[in-house]
Amino acid sequence: MQRHLTITPSPHVRDRASTKNIMQEVCLALAPAGIASIILFGASALKLICFSVLTCVLTEYLYQLIAGHKSTVGDWSAVVTGLMLAYNLPATAPWWIPVVGGVIAILLVKQLFGGIGSNFMNPALTARAVLFISWGGLVASYPNTLYCGGVDTISSATPLALMAADPSQVSFVDLLLGNVPGILGETCKIALLLGGIYLIIRGIIDWRIPATFIGSVFVLFLLTSGFNFELALKEVFAGGLMLGAFFMATDYATCPLSRLGRVIMGIGCGVFTFMIRAYANYPEGTSFAILFMNVLTPLIDRYTMPKFFGEVKKNA
Amino acid sequence: MFGARLFPGGIHPREGVNGKAENSANPIQELPAVSRVIIPLSQHIGAPATATVKKGDHVLMGQVIGEPAGFVSAPVHASVSGTVVEVGNCKLASGATVPAVTIDNDFKDEWVELHPSEHPENLTAEEAQQIIRNAGIVGMGGATFPTQVKLTPAAGKTIEKLIINGAECEPYLTADHRLMLEHAGEIVDGVRLLMLAFGVKDAVIGVEENKRDAISALSDAASGIEGLRVQGLPVRYPQGGEKQLIYAITKRVVPTGGLPIDVGCVVLNVGTVFACDQAIRMGIPLVRRVTTVGGLVNNPGNFLVRIGTPVKALFEACGGTTPACKQLISGGPMMGISFKDTDCPVTKGTSGILALGKESIYPEETSCIRCARCLDACPMKLAPSRMDSLIRHERYDEAEKAGVMNCIECGACTYVCPAKRLLTQSFRMGKKVINTRKKAAAAKAAAEKAQLAAEKAANEKEKKEA
Amino acid sequence: MPKKDTFLGAFLNGLIFENPTFTLMLGMCPTLGITTAAMNGVGMGLATTVVLVFSNLFISLLRNIIPDKVRIPSYIVIIASFVTMIDLLMSAFVPSLRAALGTYIQLIVVNCIIFARAESFAAKNPPVQAIGDGLGMGLGFTWAITLLSCIRELIGSGSIFGLRLMPEAYQPMAIMNQVPGGFITLGILLILVNVIKAAIARHSRARKEELA
Repeated sequence: MQRHLTITPSPHVRDRASTKNIMQEVCLALAPAGIASIILFGASALKLICFSVLTCVLTEYLYQLIAGHKSTVGDWSAVVTGLMLAYNLPATAPWWIPVVGGVIAILLVKQLFGGIGSNFMNPALTARAVLFISWGGLVASYPNTLYCGGVDTISSATPLALMAADPSQVSFVDLLLGNVPGILGETCKIALLLGGIYLIIRGIIDWRIPATFIGSVFVLFLLTSGFNFELALKEVFAGGLMLGAFFMATDYATCPLSRLGRVIMGIGCGVFTFMIRAYANYPEGTSFAILFMNVLTPLIDRYTMPKFFGEVKKNA
Repeated sequence: MFGARLFPGGIHPREGVNGKAENSANPIQELPAVSRVIIPLSQHIGAPATATVKKGDHVLMGQVIGEPAGFVSAPVHASVSGTVVEVGNCKLASGATVPAVTIDNDFKDEWVELHPSEHPENLTAEEAQQIIRNAGIVGMGGATFPTQVKLTPAAGKTIEKLIINGAECEPYLTADHRLMLEHAGEIVDGVRLLMLAFGVKDAVIGVEENKRDAISALSDAASGIEGLRVQGLPVRYPQGGEKQLIYAITKRVVPTGGLPIDVGCVVLNVGTVFACDQAIRMGIPLVRRVTTVGGLVNNPGNFLVRIGTPVKALFEACGGTTPACKQLISGGPMMGISFKDTDCPVTKGTSGILALGKESIYPEETSCIRCARCLDACPMKLAPSRMDSLIRHERYDEAEKAGVMNCIECGACTYVCPAKRLLTQSFRMGKKVINTRKKAAAAKAAAEKAQLAAEKAANEKEKKEA
Repeated sequence: MPKKDTFLGAFLNGLIFENPTFTLMLGMCPTLGITTAAMNGVGMGLATTVVLVFSNLFISLLRNIIPDKVRIPSYIVIIASFVTMIDLLMSAFVPSLRAALGTYIQLIVVNCIIFARAESFAAKNPPVQAIGDGLGMGLGFTWAITLLSCIRELIGSGSIFGLRLMPEAYQPMAIMNQVPGGFITLGILLILVNVIKAAIARHSRARKEELA
């Protein structure tokens, strides 16, 4: 009777969800956008995705080997970072761009700050920002899709830039399908929505962040454009907003813990995205808006911790 | 759902083999008496009872073998008739060593003379408290707090509402469910007697919606009794937590650090009420209880078992554990204690004995990924991941501010954690450290105060003399 | 670690053991601001060294005369005098370097290395050691920021001291020429320094145990 019995603290049943499951599901949710990018931009998209994912996984493995830490490559989080990084690059980027980016994301942003869950900014977005500042010409170019001029031609204007002049220049169907110039992962909104909604249904991401993020961008554009419904709707479907709102802003390590905090995060991202898009001279503000809110996350956490059940005002 | 409100957080823990679904169909069967019982004298929260028998004494069933030592304490009764062979110590499932009386059964089951109440429906509060105390009744949901203490509200507080806990929200456990099905009449009668004795006008029996048969059985029994109703509750762990149950039924929130009586409520388990009914109507003290044996055993069931019966007798009655069994649990899988030694006795608080497989063994802990699932699961609206990191960095003061003392150790956060962190364990440790420090600080302050007073007195004396 | 009460001891202490950049974390403003090219690092480092040596010397000489209550203004007067001299000399003889360093030269007046050494060393030690300390700290600062600027120049512009070292195909990483690049490089260098320090400590502990 007493063979192989063990003693452990309660509880003695655990949910099946694990870090690995969650990361795998995120990868699954990112897959449609990846497939769409390969269809839209061809083999160069596949090449960039492969380089990015491989670099991220290898960097994590090698760093932990050298530093003598336990390897966490098996939790798939490096794969998620790799995918996100690749999705933030244009199809025209040379192969070494995702390699440098992967090393920055995993080594500099993730591992040096304590590994999974401890990074203070989204690794993929930080890497993208570093690449953007370093090699602006290579990273901030927006190639046309195969079906609209060919990948070799760099678009003179992104849909966002075109829309700033006249929203009717951009077709809504093209925006949905992704047949517009842009970076790999951001163009096909149907694929992104599919993945995002899957994650929300599976309870992996909190709906509050994408809803408030996208909602506030929509409302702000609606208000400032004199209730131009078409413009506001197209602003929501153009650029990297969907990718950012569903996959980047919801990164566990860099978004607030409480529900209220997440609403603040979403609205903050929306406001900054709107401000950069409407008033700054960068074409796209999503990634910088998210990075900015990432840095504010500890502060938001500090002030939005839920009140205890039963907490009453101290009369003393 | 009949207007029951959902408490914040909560989870739906998964069941395994021979869980609620299978076991709730097994009627309560009486476990045959064993030849030797070991009855611990500390089966309740509070001071252990002091033994009133010595080696060689002949005892009758129901005879007091341990007198309560203090207000928060309870007497202990013999569950068999026979001869005391030892007054010593025994090990409980928790691993604690407590004083115990070992009795050899003579299998005659001679009862001590029982004193049923002569006017059960006209008891005063004091009489009822006395009967409950003498019967050794403690909270039978597992907390084992002496019941008569709960029913003795502090000055200035009155019992407005009696809440009977039939939630049985832990997975696997079906003992209360079977008790409600088979003894609905006695439970309702017990509630009625308590209502009459304590002048309570309003009582609610709360049962989770997944026990529809129990709800209808209790409703049938309760029909026509004024002020008593049966309420279905949403199925959500920890629905049976006192504060959660009170909120679900009355929408009242027990203040932090407060007791249910602060919002006019007393919560009693259905098993406790059944025991009270037995004590008042028939004078039978608490010597038996219903226990579920589930999980990886060959024939799971619900047993009426004598207090002090070694756990192994229960397993034998169930045909033993299956080879996949890796861990034995006393209590439910969420809050129960795992144990190895099957010689340990069944106590007043043993709501279940489970055999679990390898899924109950902890997977390796990994880093927190800040997914915030623990925040959503916490029924006390705490931030477990934050408290955990504070405690692990030994920042106890901040952890206390973050609310770790409010933790009810329900295990919901640990259940949902995808990084498999031992959150509940960390909080237990943190609470212990904080309590120890508080005690030390209080002792130090008292000592300083005493010294100060002594100095002052000495000074005054000097002044006077001068 | 050498004793600090000799010239050589004070010199080595500043150069290596209590390096102002890697150990004391002083003078971070120029460290991050001007280290985009190797030449800037050398120039800034040497300018600071000269000021540091002379200010240490004079503060040490006057240490028993300066009243305690007005010592900070006194230090500033002494330091600012030498900074002005250096500023004018550089403008006269190396105008391009002077232009590249911009306002950071004037900011030497409030550089914390100089203040820290004045307050914690020169004001308490005789002139010879004070010169040793100033020289050590100054050269320690110089080599540290030169190393930093070499790395930044190599990655950010593909060259060191203006000499192209990277192959033609290399595309310079522009972030290295900006302040974030300074933070990143300094951070990584600090990690390496700490790794080396930990290794040395381990090694010497092991040797001590062997001896014992």
